[in-house]
Amino acid sequence: MLLPENTKCECGHQNGVGTILCESCGKPLDPELAKSNEVLEMRYDGVARPSQKANPNFIDKIWNFFSSVKVAIYLIIITLVLVIPGAIIQQANTFLSVNFDPSTYYKETYGTLGHLLYLFGFHNTFESWWFKTLLVLIAASLVICSIDRVIPLYRALNKQQISKHLSFLKRQKVVYSGALPVSQEGFVEQFRQVLRKKKYRVHSNGQALLAEKYRFSRWGPYINHIGLIVILLTLVFRSFPSLHMDDYVKIVDGDTVPITNTNFYVKSEGFNIVYYENEELPENLQDEVRIKAFETDVVLYECISYCDDVTQKPELKPLMEHKILVNSPLSYKGFRLHQFDYDLTPRLNAVSPSIVDKVTGETYGPFYLSMFDPEQYYEVGPYSLTIIAKYLDFTIDSSGEPTTLSNNPNAPAFIFNIKGPGFAESGENYIYFPLEKDKVRFAQDSINRDLSDLIDIRVLDMEDVQFSKATTYLNVRYDPVVKYLLIGAFICMLGLTMGSYWNHRRIWLRIDEQTITIAAHTNKNWFAMRQELATCLKQVDIDVDQKDLDNGGNKT
Amino acid sequence: MKLMDVSTFSFTLAFVLYCSSFGLYCVAVGGKRWSNRDAKLHEKKWTKIAFIAAVIGLVAQLTSFVTRWVETGHIPNSNLYEYITLFALFTMLAFFIIHFIYKKPLLGMFALPLTIIMIGYASVFDTGVQPLIPQLQSHWLKIHVSLAALGEAFFAVGFAAGLMYLLRTVDFTSKEKHLVRQQRIIEFVLVSIIIVCGFIISAFVFKGLGYSASFEHESARVDLSGQLISQTVVVEYTMPPIFEPYNATQLHMDKFMGLTKAPFETPEWFGGANAGRKLNTVIWSIITGLLVYGIIRLIIRKPLGRFINPFLDGIDEHDLDEISYRAIVIGFPIFTLGALIFAAIWAEKAWGRFWNWDPKETWALITWLFYSAYLHFRLSRGWQGKPSAWLAVIGFIIVLFTLVGVNLLVAGMHSYAGVQ
Repeated sequence: MLLPENTKCECGHQNGVGTILCESCGKPLDPELAKSNEVLEMRYDGVARPSQKANPNFIDKIWNFFSSVKVAIYLIIITLVLVIPGAIIQQANTFLSVNFDPSTYYKETYGTLGHLLYLFGFHNTFESWWFKTLLVLIAASLVICSIDRVIPLYRALNKQQISKHLSFLKRQKVVYSGALPVSQEGFVEQFRQVLRKKKYRVHSNGQALLAEKYRFSRWGPYINHIGLIVILLTLVFRSFPSLHMDDYVKIVDGDTVPITNTNFYVKSEGFNIVYYENEELPENLQDEVRIKAFETDVVLYECISYCDDVTQKPELKPLMEHKILVNSPLSYKGFRLHQFDYDLTPRLNAVSPSIVDKVTGETYGPFYLSMFDPEQYYEVGPYSLTIIAKYLDFTIDSSGEPTTLSNNPNAPAFIFNIKGPGFAESGENYIYFPLEKDKVRFAQDSINRDLSDLIDIRVLDMEDVQFSKATTYLNVRYDPVVKYLLIGAFICMLGLTMGSYWNHRRIWLRIDEQTITIAAHTNKNWFAMRQELATCLKQVDIDVDQKDLDNGGNKT
Repeated sequence: MKLMDVSTFSFTLAFVLYCSSFGLYCVAVGGKRWSNRDAKLHEKKWTKIAFIAAVIGLVAQLTSFVTRWVETGHIPNSNLYEYITLFALFTMLAFFIIHFIYKKPLLGMFALPLTIIMIGYASVFDTGVQPLIPQLQSHWLKIHVSLAALGEAFFAVGFAAGLMYLLRTVDFTSKEKHLVRQQRIIEFVLVSIIIVCGFIISAFVFKGLGYSASFEHESARVDLSGQLISQTVVVEYTMPPIFEPYNATQLHMDKFMGLTKAPFETPEWFGGANAGRKLNTVIWSIITGLLVYGIIRLIIRKPLGRFINPFLDGIDEHDLDEISYRAIVIGFPIFTLGALIFAAIWAEKAWGRFWNWDPKETWALITWLFYSAYLHFRLSRGWQGKPSAWLAVIGFIIVLFTLVGVNLLVAGMHSYAGVQ
């Protein structure tokens, strides 16, 4: 469409370039448009958008590109489509294992198509540069589209004339036209009262009338977009890793462990699985095993001194106790510990074995032997024991030497130098496996040879074995920017509510000699608009069906 | 009488009332052409009766919902059966809200079968009461799940109105190329709905017959830590196996129409847990659905779309267009709040992160993006009416995939809401 050179309306108002309907009287400015009889396009009441400049330069062109709703829709749809593969194939970052190899996993699990998706980077959709670029483009579109529209809309709604051009009224979607039933002033006043009861704000000048309500509904989409922008900006800001913390901590029952990168220590008093009791279960599930809760009792400590000193035990100050449940994390000043996983493999902590003299049958002890922090020297009855070596996860390496596989007490072994009745003066080396299975597996008696005929070190009672029943895995979180996301979400919902559940409605009345022309406009839900106008007209004794107010324009 | 029995009874009552209401709507619309009566008066009278039946049905279902809640001590929306029945309840509620605004009772003719199918579909799954698993023990269960369902219920009404719009406006007599294509797509949508009915019918028929078959196969899967776990899995079939699981041995199979062995084997590339059984169920649903469709075609002797079209004469299509749009506009903020915002708040609390890109979450986002595209499309003039109705139909298909498809096909953190 060629824009008219002269943008001055016959009513005397000077309009900006690109204006379709006169900002003052509403008369169509384009001569082509003025001649036709079609229903008017009422977007922004015909006010020009900033992007409709006559000679756009480079920056204007970028602005124009992003100001298009079409582009916005394309961006939404592109995002939508590209997200789908990511929602179907399992994302790489959900695998915690180091053994996970994406280059083979996707082929094996999803076949060739899965491998292809992997090659295109869909296994890591939400971390990928193109996904982030899309978010940035959407943010740009949100900002520019909104600014480009909210300005003309504000201009149009802020300075409305009561009296509009007749063709402006006649070419609305909802129009009534008829003979003036009573006197001019009487009718305007009567209609005014009716509209006021319907919560319209009415302005009139005696022969024309403008009634308007719920204008705020028009700002809904823009407020919603502000909320979305706040959310997107927060997400961009949040991607700086220093701003949030996501770690895992493994605690064996009873242990106290430091939390990396913090001054906190956390102690687990024990992990527990709670099952439903029979009286809590419905009849058909009696005696079935149903989990009611995963819980870890923890104490959070703060280190107050010797924190980085390896030689000293750190001094801890308890801050709080909490029973962590799946839906109830420990939370301390924004720092949180979530139940993440558990392991029910018990861990041996200490044994209290006794020494049996095989010759006399006499028993000495027991003595307390910790797996992690044993004493170096023990005196048990007539015997004295010195620890020569300790292996928590005993094995024999390729050169035939004993060694340990890990620092976990899976197969603990102690080599003592023992002095006492029957032993050589300088003492003799004796290997001791606290766990019965290891004794057999590694053949303790044959390693110790004839020493095994002299004594036996053994646990006499199950109470002399101390172990932790379970290990809990907690997720350590600190994410202070989440509150800005909440604020964004709130703004977003505020805008959505305003824009969705209220409609901006306007009614114009104009009297030309003995004819009244009434037109109405709403931003959506025309049925309800017609219905309301018909009800209002009925109250001024004009009987008209809502369907007859339809001036067309709904047709596609 | 115990509360649980009250709940079951009123649920059955609601189902019967919904079905009767649908029947009455058909009488209202179909009976217009019967002789010796005033068409307008007839329609008015019967839609009123149908509407009252639907209202009593809703009251009955609400009673069932509340009594089940009281009896179990938690809101009945914690598994697929409970969730879909709640979705059905909210669809009725959304229909009544829209009806209150527009007074278009004929919308019920499309909303009711939707509700009936949802309830039937839900009843295929385990209807028993389950104690709440630890992950679901939160007040957010009430808020997040219910609001998401309510939002989706409005999308369902938008879909019903959109489909009505298409059935009303597409020219079913034309032979023009693009119109023939539209007729075919509408017929396809209708057949798909019948196939869902086919699933319900075959599930209940074989359940009634007490049919069973079982297979055993080796299953290897990679667990979260990347380790390969291999185990022998027994797959129970409740429908006669047309497709047995890939690489499986038959343990037992009831004879079915002379068959003692499954005729086909599920292809290997058909991955996922219980792929064989799922494929078999899908095949049975299609067979039964097509059978039902065939019978309907034999009776009406023309495509379903062309059959329905004349009954919708006289309904203003612009109103249908607006109803569809209005329902979606009402549902959109509710869905945003329930399925995205409250979901994120709960996830932050339970999982420690507000967004996991879990498949269910991501599909909720896809649904949201789709409907926001829909709302923006409405801004441009050309996308009202027919294109907009098509979008309302497609949108609801996405909703259904998010609701059911994700649970059945994709594993994820929401999979505990899935099927046994």
